[in-house]
Amino acid sequence: MLGIGLGVLLFVSSASAHHSFAAEYDNNKQVTVKGLVQKVAWVNPHAYVYIDVTDENGKVTTWAFESLSPNALARQGWSRNSLKVGESVTVQGYLAKDGKPLADGSVHANSKSITTADGRKVFVGSSADDATK
Amino acid sequence: MRPNSVLYTFVLVLIAMSATALAQTGPPRTGNLGNEKAPAGPTPRTPDGKVDFSGVWDPGFSFANLGQVPLQPWAQKLYEERRASLSKDDPEARCLPAGVPRISPFPQKFVQTPTLIVILDEGNVHSYRQLFLDGRGHPKDLEPLWMGDSIAHWDGDVLVVDTIGFNDKTWLNGQGVPHSDQLHVIERYTRPDLGHLNVEITLEDSKAFTKPHTFTRTYTLLPNWEIHEYVCNEFNVDAEHLVGK
Repeated sequence: MLGIGLGVLLFVSSASAHHSFAAEYDNNKQVTVKGLVQKVAWVNPHAYVYIDVTDENGKVTTWAFESLSPNALARQGWSRNSLKVGESVTVQGYLAKDGKPLADGSVHANSKSITTADGRKVFVGSSADDATK
Repeated sequence: MRPNSVLYTFVLVLIAMSATALAQTGPPRTGNLGNEKAPAGPTPRTPDGKVDFSGVWDPGFSFANLGQVPLQPWAQKLYEERRASLSKDDPEARCLPAGVPRISPFPQKFVQTPTLIVILDEGNVHSYRQLFLDGRGHPKDLEPLWMGDSIAHWDGDVLVVDTIGFNDKTWLNGQGVPHSDQLHVIERYTRPDLGHLNVEITLEDSKAFTKPHTFTRTYTLLPNWEIHEYVCNEFNVDAEHLVGK
């Protein structure tokens, strides 16, 4: 259930609150991942959403998606409870350039939007565009 | 009960109700940084008649303002290297202080007393700046500082802030414009009305620039907002994954 689409996106601004997006993520490697929420890490400087993705053979891979900072998410009305553990979501994002997993072994990527099974969009936005949005 | 005491009781109840409402709701948690409408009204003043800069202020997209800094050849070369590596070595990405005048896109809170103004940064590493308004000069033999040493004075309704004593580790913006330890920052803060704060920033650096450079920022007042917590070092896994190209 894992599709990787490559696409080119234009960015109006590379202004980031914390780090250069282009130094860490590849905006030519856009990914769409469907899976179950394992946890929401409400941490600085960026929240992380962990998604368990099961492939055709039943093998589970955990993806770690970097999101906006908690202060930016909170100002848009989202919280650590905006996603429930175990719920099905589709995440759109970008792969990390170095291709290396995080220390816990999860696949490292950056999310720009997370859509729940009932069509809600949460944690919209990415350091790819602008942290103030 | 006499009419006066009825009125008095009524007022007390109103005060209690509004206090309760505030306690229940607190300051707004949500809002659209960079797009909030500035409230209208006259420039607030302190009891001694000075312009009052107190408040939570949103720099909006002017946080990224800097303009074209006239760099000496060595500084231009360093800048181009930082551009080529896509800012992978930005100190801010390692949760080090942004320095001055660089700021984050998140709000700043100004706290003002007659002899001291404190600026609290929500973003970056929760840096603070102390703008000393008590007539002191800069200390002699300053050690290199991340945020510099700031003294301030009034020029009519303009708050003039003079800052020196920097290290050469910070970048002037996210693109990596460099400066040396000779950086001298002069800021002229004005509050033309209730909802706006303007600052004209002049940078001098005899070691890194060919001439002084001036740019401006405009802030919008966020009435009743609060700054949020942002503890950069909590889980900064980015640092080891910043590879550049």
